[in-house]
Amino acid sequence: MHAAVLWTVVGLSLGLALVGLALSLLDRRADRLLLGGVAVVEVAVVVQSVVAGIGLATGHRVLSAPTFVGYLAGIVLVLPFAVAWAWADRSRWSGGVVAIGALSVAVMTARLLMMWQGRA
Amino acid sequence: MDQPADGGRVPTASGAGRLLVAVYGVFALAATSRAGVQLATRFHEAPVAYLLSAVSAVVYVVATVALARRGPGARRLAWAAVTTELVGVLVVGTLSVVAAGDFPRATVWSGYGEGYGFVPLVLPFVGLWWLRRTAR
Repeated sequence: MHAAVLWTVVGLSLGLALVGLALSLLDRRADRLLLGGVAVVEVAVVVQSVVAGIGLATGHRVLSAPTFVGYLAGIVLVLPFAVAWAWADRSRWSGGVVAIGALSVAVMTARLLMMWQGRA
Repeated sequence: MDQPADGGRVPTASGAGRLLVAVYGVFALAATSRAGVQLATRFHEAPVAYLLSAVSAVVYVVATVALARRGPGARRLAWAAVTTELVGVLVVGTLSVVAAGDFPRATVWSGYGEGYGFVPLVLPFVGLWWLRRTAR
């Protein structure tokens, strides 16, 4: 797997976090556009988990395979949970909730990158 | 609008409280995954540290659920969980600094949560403040 896949997810999720944060700060309700952004990032996250999982299965070594697999599985759940929580009570804070989920995805992907490159 | 089902109090999961519950949820996921991997693969290496890791996971899960729910029972449970969290991060954080040998970087609370941007240290203070604020 090329590290570019992970960097793409970091970039997309940070972008989504900024949009979500902006919606809350500007007192705007989360709308379908934000939902579309979440969908794009989630697709990228799923692709990342599948590609990294295949890489691991075909011989790439990481320091702790269980931790790495745990991240790959856990990261795909973050945005669906965040959206469910955000949309259960649509308010100015829904964008902020999505931003917290997106920021978590960015941090988790950075950790994945470090593990993939054998630095953690 | 939110119906006051908590003795006239504001539900903890309303307004900006949605954000707090989301952050707690992230830490519930992080601590649970971490403890799960540790207990399943390396428990014999450091049983005490890894059991503490499991305790922190339970605390975050309970705090998340209690803050997300409404009612006096959930509020009391949230107080207990967030207070335990504060004590936990302070005690484990201090022990991990003064007795580093016995406390390898193994829990979310090690080094006062330095591995997580010190959010675990700030979070219980915000949680207690929010519980007080919404109780008025």
